[in-house]
Amino acid sequence: MTRLAAAAAAVAGLGIAGYLTIVHYAGAEPACAIAHGCGTVQASPYAQLAGVPVALLGVLGYAAILAALASDGERARTAAAFLALGGWGFSAWLTYVEVVRLEAICTWCVASALLMTVLAGLTVVRQLSAAPSPARPG
Amino acid sequence: MSEGTLREQRRAERVARERAQAAAATRRARLLRLAGAAGLAAVAVTAAVLVSSAGDQPSAASDSSATGDAAALVRGLPERGGVLGDPDAPVTVTEYVDLQCPVCAESARTILPGLVQDYVRTGEVKLAARTLHFLGPDSVRAARVAAGAERQGRLWPFLLAFYAAQGPENSGYATDEHLRDIAAAAGVDADRALGHARSGSATGRLERANADADRLGIQSTPTFTVQRGDGPAEVVTGGLGAALDTALAR
Repeated sequence: MTRLAAAAAAVAGLGIAGYLTIVHYAGAEPACAIAHGCGTVQASPYAQLAGVPVALLGVLGYAAILAALASDGERARTAAAFLALGGWGFSAWLTYVEVVRLEAICTWCVASALLMTVLAGLTVVRQLSAAPSPARPG
Repeated sequence: MSEGTLREQRRAERVARERAQAAAATRRARLLRLAGAAGLAAVAVTAAVLVSSAGDQPSAASDSSATGDAAALVRGLPERGGVLGDPDAPVTVTEYVDLQCPVCAESARTILPGLVQDYVRTGEVKLAARTLHFLGPDSVRAARVAAGAERQGRLWPFLLAFYAAQGPENSGYATDEHLRDIAAAAGVDADRALGHARSGSATGRLERANADADRLGIQSTPTFTVQRGDGPAEVVTGGLGAALDTALAR
């Protein structure tokens, strides 16, 4: 159940990051239904990390989380938790940048940050609560 | 109780104890793995934040071109939403400009250096701009791209670089190529700034400049206003220095 919920959140995040990546490369401004800061955030220097669009990093991050969720082994669970915690930390930084430095809110980015928060929680719970591996006979 | 039953009971207790120990060991191992993952994630996020913050600073290369010397005046100063300087500065000076206006360029060479050095860098004043665009089509094109530069936190470097390469009024010199050169000299991503120049958001920026100027009765450039905190903006009619000292003394 936890794994399924995490996968659903990752798919939703992949959709958001994919949309923002397409908008970035199209040179367009994201549709911003509630707030009006999507264009400001997208055009700011923070929208790129070492020349790579942050939205594209989001696509890669969500895809990697989905790949880690595909397996139920100990390593895959730890990898999913690592990726989600990293994504959550970076999302927290970007949210701070939006509110304090840019004074502009991008609803897509906030939605992605919330999804990363959910993913971080779910993957940590999954890591800690999974049934112990069956004892090897012998 | 028979000896067989006792043996069976001891065996069951031993198995339960072993299972509990195995479960505790698994839990410990998972916690350790999770702590390791969290630690690694924290290191990765810290590195990403450092790179992200560095990207906000103007690069030395972008300011080293011919027009880059003009932008050097504001190098190292924070800019948010087109407002240059400490966001907590008690006084806001807003300059109403038209990028084609020669007197505005002159003002950038004669008034701005003292204003920036003596008031903005000391944290007493923050500096805003409104790009009016009444002189002609070159003004409109330049103001729109300036809105794109503002979105990237590089409005003031763009304004200064534009003044440094200002051409004859309404000669059609503010072409995309010219504006790209200015943007590059100011450390602005030219593609994105020119892309933003066509957006409704850029139109809104120009309309806001007009509306603010109309509200204050400003009809020429450059015109400065001085505003203490959230108080009303007052149009400077005499010396800017005197108006500033009055506002700061309040």
